[in-house]
Amino acid sequence: MGKYFAKRIGMAVVTIFLVTCLTFLLMNAVPGSPWLSEKSPSAATLAALNEKYGMDKPVYVQLMKYLGNLAKGDLGVSLKMQKNRAVTSIIGEMFPVSAKVGAIALSWAVLVGVPLGCLAAFKRGKLTDSILRVICTLGISMPSFVVASVLLVTLAGGLASLKFFPTIFDPALGWRSYVLPCFSLGFYPMCYTARQTRSAMLDALNQEYIKTARAKGLKNNKIIFKHALRNALIPVITYLGPQVAFTLCGGFVVESVFSIPGLGRYFVQSIQNRDYPVIMGTTIFLATLIILMNVVVDLLYKLADPRINLTKGD
Amino acid sequence: MAEDKKMERFPVTLQPDIEALLQDLSEEDFTPASEQEKDDFIQERQSTSYWKDAWRRLRKNVVAMVALGVIICLFLFAFVGPYLVPYGYEQFNKGAENLYPYHYTLEDQKRLDAEIAARTQSETMDVDEMIAKAKAEAEAKGEKFTKKDEAVIKAQAKVAANNAEASEDADPEKIRQELGIKRHLFGYSVGELERKAAGEHVFPHVFGTDMYGRDIMVRVMYGARVSMSVGICAALLVLVIGATYGAVSGYCGGRVDAVMQRIVELIYSVPEMLVVLLIATALKPILTEYVNSGGSSPLKAFVNILGPNLISMFIAFGVLYWVTMSRIIRGQVLQLKQQEYVTAARALGASGGRIIRQHLIPNCIGQIVVTTCLQIPSAIFLESFLSYLGVGVSAPLPSLGSMATDALSGMYTYTYRLIVPSLILSVMILAFNLFGDGLRDALDPKLKK
Repeated sequence: MGKYFAKRIGMAVVTIFLVTCLTFLLMNAVPGSPWLSEKSPSAATLAALNEKYGMDKPVYVQLMKYLGNLAKGDLGVSLKMQKNRAVTSIIGEMFPVSAKVGAIALSWAVLVGVPLGCLAAFKRGKLTDSILRVICTLGISMPSFVVASVLLVTLAGGLASLKFFPTIFDPALGWRSYVLPCFSLGFYPMCYTARQTRSAMLDALNQEYIKTARAKGLKNNKIIFKHALRNALIPVITYLGPQVAFTLCGGFVVESVFSIPGLGRYFVQSIQNRDYPVIMGTTIFLATLIILMNVVVDLLYKLADPRINLTKGD
Repeated sequence: MAEDKKMERFPVTLQPDIEALLQDLSEEDFTPASEQEKDDFIQERQSTSYWKDAWRRLRKNVVAMVALGVIICLFLFAFVGPYLVPYGYEQFNKGAENLYPYHYTLEDQKRLDAEIAARTQSETMDVDEMIAKAKAEAEAKGEKFTKKDEAVIKAQAKVAANNAEASEDADPEKIRQELGIKRHLFGYSVGELERKAAGEHVFPHVFGTDMYGRDIMVRVMYGARVSMSVGICAALLVLVIGATYGAVSGYCGGRVDAVMQRIVELIYSVPEMLVVLLIATALKPILTEYVNSGGSSPLKAFVNILGPNLISMFIAFGVLYWVTMSRIIRGQVLQLKQQEYVTAARALGASGGRIIRQHLIPNCIGQIVVTTCLQIPSAIFLESFLSYLGVGVSAPLPSLGSMATDALSGMYTYTYRLIVPSLILSVMILAFNLFGDGLRDALDPKLKK
């Protein structure tokens, strides 16, 4: 296990280093700068600003400095959107908002998706299966903004003046404002999980050990949940790992639709505003989260299937 | 249970009963067959190739064939449609702003307008009239009429007018129903209806128009065209990069494979969406600058034809999304390269490149086609996301995603503006998904679930 973790940490450091370099170079390749606004500043002001934030130096010097700061855990300060506020503190403020919405969305996606997948696999070829398949195929064909818009138009004021839920996210309104964003964010993962579970379950149900279990007279519930599901979960876990990190940081789209003050929406705004340190900070934060999730996924594999040996190759 | 039945079918002895057989045979059964009979015996049946076989299976799959039909229709809609409609996607049709996808006949429209005018006029009074009236009243009482009083009256009038307007918004629909006016399909502006009445041929605004009077159907057509070309080109790019990378990695094996797989793992742990967003925003201005920088070269002409918009999208997608494809191909190649025919080819002195091209790739073509086909909807997905967030295809070129964003502001009044692009987008992705599933079942029957 020690060797495994050493390898993972090594890979993580290399990945974060590469992501940092790539993002940095890409950002600097984009024409435009954070100083541009309605009133264009004079050349002298620009020079002074560039000097203050070290942007007058060559790109590689800036990159080196950034990497040095990164090693110390310093992500710099925002240049434009919340001037001179530390990026870490911005992330600290925005992430919990996104994380809460994301966690609820993903929870319902898994809690509904996996049982539905099992049900479809068990009722294979029957009406239930067909209905579920139609719903799930529709679900993976609708971008989240389409789902969100349909919900908004029907449940938040459009249809016959029904107004169950607010259009704009406001934590003060309590659970009501979470319903629509969480539903639209979780719908795609739910359908995807259900499809994955169904096909993995069908695979598992064809295995010899299921026949054995049946032969020795086990109850259906026990066969499904104890024997088949455990093996069927592997592909589901593989999909969910990166998805967790991604959803926690906010569906960019869902956050924009409902004006949720989360990390995803802020990231998109920071790109439009060329707020370099915020872009960098968010990207690195999310990359770290994804890497962390991949490690968690590996450990979950082991939990679901003890035969898997992490230390040995692929 | 099933086992018991099978057991019953076995005869007691395995020896055939020769006496009984001989009784069934006559002398004629032993005469040689004539040429005609021999010919009849050989069934005319051509050998079926892999693709024919797959097509036969695919044709039986109703869902996949319907999906294919929908894809072809959408294709015609996106690529031929704009030539049939006399409006441009960037054409402002004066006097045809904010049209709904339905219209009333000219007489009905006049009746409706007259009714609305009659109802609103009775409710509100002219502001000047009110001021004059108040002034007269004040003078009659011997009080002074101040500027403040005037302002109060004006403000009250404004509120009243606003209320009237608000109620008026809901009113036309009610009035329409009261008058029993029927809606007719397609949007026409009043001017267009008059021209039509004069005998001129006017093309309708099938899906209505937006706030600038741009025809929504044409915009949706161009949007669908953008989505489809991004989907198909990005999938092809993924195919080329992924298949090459996977085949080389799998075929070479050993240290080369180890290094190449580490790179794949690296890309797997990159936050795709973030990087795609970054690449798309970074490349667009760079390519635009490149196109505008003067001079001419074949590459520049190519970039110019497709537009910086689309190219940045292809690259953003191609750079990150080939890893799945490469993994699948590598897995296949790892299996296939152990086969005898590869050893034979190597013994005959074929180079690595030739073996990959001639032997390995054709043998995993089924997987490649299926993965490519399923890559298309995910590319369309991504394009719509980026455009929705405002970093994808940019104005004036319409995209289904950006049309949906624009429609959000008037979501309740002009719902069709949101519904039309969303619906086309969803149907498109759905059709590609279903067709890809069908293709997988047809090309790889082993995988069928």
